Amino acid sequence: MTESIVTTPSHGNAIDVHSLTKSFGRVQALRGLDLTVPVGKVTGFLGPNGSGKSTTIRILLGLLRADGGEATVLGGDPWADAVRLHRSIAYVPGDVNLWPNLTGGQAIDILCRLSGPLDPKRKDTMLERFDLDPTKKARAYSKGNRQKVALVAALASTAQLLILDEPTSGLDPLMEAAFTESIREVKSDGRSVLLSSHIFAEVERLADQVTIIRDGATVESGTIAELRHLTRTQVTAVIDGSSNSLAVMPGVHDLKRVDGHVTFAVDDEALGPVLAAVAALHPRSLVANPPSLEELFLRHYEPELAALNGRGT
Amino acid sequence: MTASTYESTSPAIPVGQHPARETLVGLGTMVRFVLRRNRIRLLVWWLVIVGLFAYVLVYYRDIFTSQSALDDFAAVSNVPSIKALTGLAAAPNTMGGAVWTKIWMTCALLLAFGVVFLVTRNGRADEEAGRTELLRSRMLGMHAYTVATWIVCGALSVAVGIGVAAVSIGGGLDPAGSGITGSVILGASITGVGLVGLAVSALAGQVMTTSRAANALASTVLGVFYMLRMVGDLGDGRLTWASPIGWGQEMQPWGANRWWPFALMLVLTAILLAAASTVESRRDLGAGVVSERAGRADAPARYAKPLGLALRMERGPVIGWTLTIALSALLFGSVIDAMSTLMEDASDSVAAIMRGTGVDALLSMLITMIAMITTVFAIQTSLTLRGDETRGIIEPQLAGAVSRVNWALQRLLIPMVGSAVLLVIGGGLIGVSYGATIGQSGQALTLALAALAYWPAVMVFVGITVALFGWLPRLSIALSWGLLAAMWIVVIVGDALRLPAWLLDLLPFSATPYQPLDPMSLPPVIVMTAVAGLLCWLGLARFARRDVQTG
Repeated sequence: MTESIVTTPSHGNAIDVHSLTKSFGRVQALRGLDLTVPVGKVTGFLGPNGSGKSTTIRILLGLLRADGGEATVLGGDPWADAVRLHRSIAYVPGDVNLWPNLTGGQAIDILCRLSGPLDPKRKDTMLERFDLDPTKKARAYSKGNRQKVALVAALASTAQLLILDEPTSGLDPLMEAAFTESIREVKSDGRSVLLSSHIFAEVERLADQVTIIRDGATVESGTIAELRHLTRTQVTAVIDGSSNSLAVMPGVHDLKRVDGHVTFAVDDEALGPVLAAVAALHPRSLVANPPSLEELFLRHYEPELAALNGRGT
Repeated sequence: MTASTYESTSPAIPVGQHPARETLVGLGTMVRFVLRRNRIRLLVWWLVIVGLFAYVLVYYRDIFTSQSALDDFAAVSNVPSIKALTGLAAAPNTMGGAVWTKIWMTCALLLAFGVVFLVTRNGRADEEAGRTELLRSRMLGMHAYTVATWIVCGALSVAVGIGVAAVSIGGGLDPAGSGITGSVILGASITGVGLVGLAVSALAGQVMTTSRAANALASTVLGVFYMLRMVGDLGDGRLTWASPIGWGQEMQPWGANRWWPFALMLVLTAILLAAASTVESRRDLGAGVVSERAGRADAPARYAKPLGLALRMERGPVIGWTLTIALSALLFGSVIDAMSTLMEDASDSVAAIMRGTGVDALLSMLITMIAMITTVFAIQTSLTLRGDETRGIIEPQLAGAVSRVNWALQRLLIPMVGSAVLLVIGGGLIGVSYGATIGQSGQALTLALAALAYWPAVMVFVGITVALFGWLPRLSIALSWGLLAAMWIVVIVGDALRLPAWLLDLLPFSATPYQPLDPMSLPPVIVMTAVAGLLCWLGLARFARRDVQTG
């Protein structure tokens, strides 16, 4: 067993999870979840509330024991090697609880030293970047400020792996920018990040790859470009003349026309010929949007969305 | 108010109400809410207290079949240890007096502490957790929730008093021809002590910012009241009048049958509740009386060690319990000499009961009390393991590079080492204080060692707490305190429970050598240390294997 810092595993994944299962009584929280976090990359972890994100993260931290499947963190077993692994992991919980009668600065020092040595310079840098007063007692902090304490503690460390469970919930947009900057620094240091989040724009901006889960199982994972493969691009054009010729082209779907504004979806492989046909109609404007991460995500939840819409509120 | 508001499960808005005062808008809804939320607790407290009283009454009617038996009991009860623990009835050689001596103090204290915990649970604890904020964002007067809690807890006190009085009347405790005055005075005296507990905790909940601190302050005040009357009862009785618990005693059912001490308790309750209302109307939601100061931006490196952090987090309890033990010990020690004159006057039967000089018996009893107080400290600090888990604050700690067993063991050093230190301080200071009055400096060491002999017994409770934490985490807090309370009751009520002798001897506190009256004996001490170690090991081994269960 290595004594201090875990070396980067040779196979290139900071986290490797296969067919992970976990039940709480009769409730099955995870049913065969797969997840990989390559070394030096940011992996987005998406799923609605209750889909098993936090359960997965707690298993990766050795706080819960998996019922089945395999989980490897930095080359070790997250349950059996917890203490050794935690020297190289920084964690930001989704719901930050602090010691009410200690100050934020004290909590940061404690959290940093629990994993590795404290670097006061990095702490000061992060305190400044996140505009946090470290002399206030934790019970006097707002939710956002408690979140900042955990974030500063994680980002002030030099941990090989950052596990962040909805780290920016409760942060204002300025702090989101500080967060983005910090994660880019972490990435440029070659360190790895697992970023669980509801904020699609943030994941789209930061993540090299994305895993989407649903009901405790992985439904899709890959880079965002890979996820977009075999999807449809949404096209909006303003065309003065007739657009009937477009409607019959192969690969064009859901064409609608309102006052000269033509909207339709087009399969990726048909995009070239269709855009050429649009160009031939001399459009006054043309916008083509690849599907956003949010749309990619929502595609996996169509039954739920249909149920919501069907409720007719 | 419309009926539909009452049927609603949400404690929200009373519709169409025209309150006399705006600060009490929604009072009716909140009373129902507090009743609904605490119905099991209210019922359990009522049943335990009234049931305990009824049990002792029935038992004593069985064993005291003649006046000479009652006279013997009165003589045996007139000893310092009983006077110190429970006080002595005004008419000890009557059936009512015998029952009073046995159980009045227990019932009154149970009610007072029960009310303290209920008031904090529905007051400061909710405010600390942010639930009060949610309620107050609705159409709810500033004092409505607080006053609703007071009404419900006050009603519990009255209901317990009525229950006890009814049992007393039904059980025929009133002597023939005297009506039911004694029983009613008895019930009122217990109600009065409950109301004092209500008032003390109401103010504590306004002054302190955390539920833990509120409970600690209110419990300390009740503890001081108890000590004052203890010293008073052992001495000339003046200090008894300095204690509201003493006022309850001095109502003297079947003796002087006084009503006016009850008025004293009502006045004190009214004053403290008025003060609590004033504080509540002047302070911000979530704040206390002392405003929060800024702290240091850095933590010393030792805070990153579980022990260092625990010492910081438990600083208040550690200092508080050390002071409690030290002051109690000095107080105990100082009154012992005054007792020796009493002992000389004691009758032959008393001397026989006390086995020996009597001072030794009193010392042994006081050492046991020090050990009991130490056990509360030990359980409280051991339960912080579970406290950290429920609050979720265990997660960042275990996400650090520390194993669970290492984390827990370091935390448990506080109850383990702290208990030994507290026992030595307690026993030693009784010895110092008593030794000074009789000119024997050797008493300090003798009594310190006598107290230290209770360490294994205290550790058995730590072991039970840790085992429960490992195996039944969600029940561990309630069960740990419940077991201690059960042992308290067995020790105090003792013989009346008709438990088999071997079971009583098995209790950690009965098994410990009763020094200095009895000689030191190693086997029970060694066995209990082993049992405590085994229980801790069982609990920690399970904790290392189970899921972390927040909430």
